[in-house]
Amino acid sequence: MSISMALFSPPAPNLRTLLSSPRSLPKPRLTLKPSPSLMPKAPAFFAVSASSDNGAGAVPSSAVAVEEQGEPKVAVEPAKEPERENGSVASAPEEGAVAVAKFNDSRWVGGTWNLKQFQKDGSTDWDAVIDAEVRRRKWLEDNPESSSNDDPVVFDTSIIPWWAWMKRFHLPEAELLNGRAAMIGFFMAYLVDSLTGVGLVDQMGNFFCKTLLFIAVVGVLVIRKNEDVETIKKLIEETTFYDKQWQATWQDDNSGSSKNG
Amino acid sequence: MATASSISLKTFTGLRQNTAEKPHFAAAAAVPAARRPAARQFRVLAAKTSPKLANRNLRVAVIGGGPAGGAAAEALAKGGVETFLIERKLDNAKPCGGAIPLCMVGEFDLPLDIIDRRVTKMKMISPSNVAVDIGRTLKPHEYIGMVRREVLDAYLRERAAKNGATVINGLFLKMDMPEDKNAPYRLHFSEYSGMKGGVGEKRTLEVDAVIGADGANSRVAKSIGAGDYEYAIAFQERIKIPEDKMVYYENLAEMYVGDDVSPDFYGWVFPKCDHVAVGTGTVTHKGDIKKFQLATRNRAKDKILGGKIIRVEAHPIPEHPRPRRLSGRVALVGDAAGYVTKCSGEGIYFAAKSGRMCAEAIVEGSEQGKRMVEESDLRKYLEKWDKTYWPTYKVLDVLQKVFYRSNPAREAFVEMCADEYVQKMTFDSYLYKTVVPGNPLDDLKLAVNTIGSLVRANALRKEMQKL
Repeated sequence: MSISMALFSPPAPNLRTLLSSPRSLPKPRLTLKPSPSLMPKAPAFFAVSASSDNGAGAVPSSAVAVEEQGEPKVAVEPAKEPERENGSVASAPEEGAVAVAKFNDSRWVGGTWNLKQFQKDGSTDWDAVIDAEVRRRKWLEDNPESSSNDDPVVFDTSIIPWWAWMKRFHLPEAELLNGRAAMIGFFMAYLVDSLTGVGLVDQMGNFFCKTLLFIAVVGVLVIRKNEDVETIKKLIEETTFYDKQWQATWQDDNSGSSKNG
Repeated sequence: MATASSISLKTFTGLRQNTAEKPHFAAAAAVPAARRPAARQFRVLAAKTSPKLANRNLRVAVIGGGPAGGAAAEALAKGGVETFLIERKLDNAKPCGGAIPLCMVGEFDLPLDIIDRRVTKMKMISPSNVAVDIGRTLKPHEYIGMVRREVLDAYLRERAAKNGATVINGLFLKMDMPEDKNAPYRLHFSEYSGMKGGVGEKRTLEVDAVIGADGANSRVAKSIGAGDYEYAIAFQERIKIPEDKMVYYENLAEMYVGDDVSPDFYGWVFPKCDHVAVGTGTVTHKGDIKKFQLATRNRAKDKILGGKIIRVEAHPIPEHPRPRRLSGRVALVGDAAGYVTKCSGEGIYFAAKSGRMCAEAIVEGSEQGKRMVEESDLRKYLEKWDKTYWPTYKVLDVLQKVFYRSNPAREAFVEMCADEYVQKMTFDSYLYKTVVPGNPLDDLKLAVNTIGSLVRANALRKEMQKL
């Protein structure tokens, strides 16, 4: 048996065609030639065909959102494309492994993001780099690609400086958690004061109140979504599960020894 | 009838006691039983209290002739024990990754021509195809050996036979438990000797102790009620690829990680003697294994283009040890016991090592085959094994739990592998089977980098979910 992959010829040079859906092209011949004149009309085609996507579903919808900026263009192996009707949906070629679309973006050069193309006001726009990488990973998750020796991927997320990550991900989350902690703290302090008459300063001197404060802080940090409670229970069980499996043979030596010599 | 005084030598015995031709239960029973303390303690009792065997050596059967069985039989035979190695298929080419660490070559005196290839480079490929080369830190004499199982197994068995073990071509059927404390085990098996394609003659064999080395579906384990384990299915296709593509895999192995390739394991391309093995495995989604295999082939597509599949094979990989690895005078070793590491799925070295360790415990407990053994002597092997290799297993379990969890974790994993310190630690612990603590400052830096990678990858994943 030979691999069906033998059918796949190496991809032809990537042609800049319209964004993803070839089925939206009006004339079949145009799949093989770049047709800049059709670009302005592209959004309309996508609005029509977006609902009938079956294969590369994720990209066209996201492509519509960013098409105005003219960013990701997806090349399709032209050799595999059969004739297309005007605006009709050709489902067969998109299925299976025949029409394989590779990830392509003008700023993705040599297996990494070309930071020079992300300049904004003289310095690199790290948010845009993060967005681009997110889109690339999402694309690859839905359409896994073969890794190739000729153009290896060498992108490393650590080139994005730590403060860019902080600004984008940590700070909003921190704001949220601090807000929760503040609300809980204020309410609990008021409640304890109204029930016991102990003021805020005196509460802080009390060991029990300090313990409650600690629990509240840890709780806010650790339980961020409702599902986290279950997740933590499972994690605790997981950390000791493997150990238990190994110890199992030592548990029942008393019952086993009496039977056999 | 051979009497005690007649000599029936199979090989040069030297200091070994003479053994009667047909050891019979009566001979053993004639030995006045030294009464052992009635209360059995868990702590190991000295072998001095077990009865001395008159007129014969200890008889031990090793069921299964793979690396575990071969190593066990050799150690037993060298130690003066009368050894029977029962293997059902002497030319069996067990489906296997076939990778052995460097230390195995030294510890088991393997001849270098057993090793088909020396892998000195590995490529880890993340879900988004970030490819990282590891192996820069390897010294010139260090490598991962790729072997053919039929060659390795046969070599170890032959060496056992040369040392005095009796190799029996037969299929183990079942085992009768001993009637009382020093009674032998009666094994029932079908012997295939001489008959090709025949059903085999039913035979029995009486032995004093049994080592179960018969693999993941061990019948010995069933006989002693050892319990079950979770197992992964490893599915592999042997693909013969064109010569020019084979050059790339000259001494390089690849590991692909990703949800498409496996939800809890990895896909691999391992070079064999003249072809590559492309495969994947999973514990939790065994039904989708074909889908995962297709995805693995897809990820390696460019590099195996034009190849022909010459063989398809699958085998189970235990995920953790069986609940009971020992019962009476029967011990399990190798895959039968479940000694496969997590994360890498490595089993050959641990099989051979556990076989040897168990055999050495029997030899020591029986004082070179002169005394009867008891369960406590075999427990010593379990103690030693757990103490020596528990850190290795635990570390690999933690690695698997942390880094094979999800795509972001795998991306972080591959990112971490680009670090030289990580590569050095990984290879040192893999090749020499010791968990080396390393420089604390570097460890701290590594911990910080790991957390950083995980945080970044998970943050990207959260953004991806918004899309």
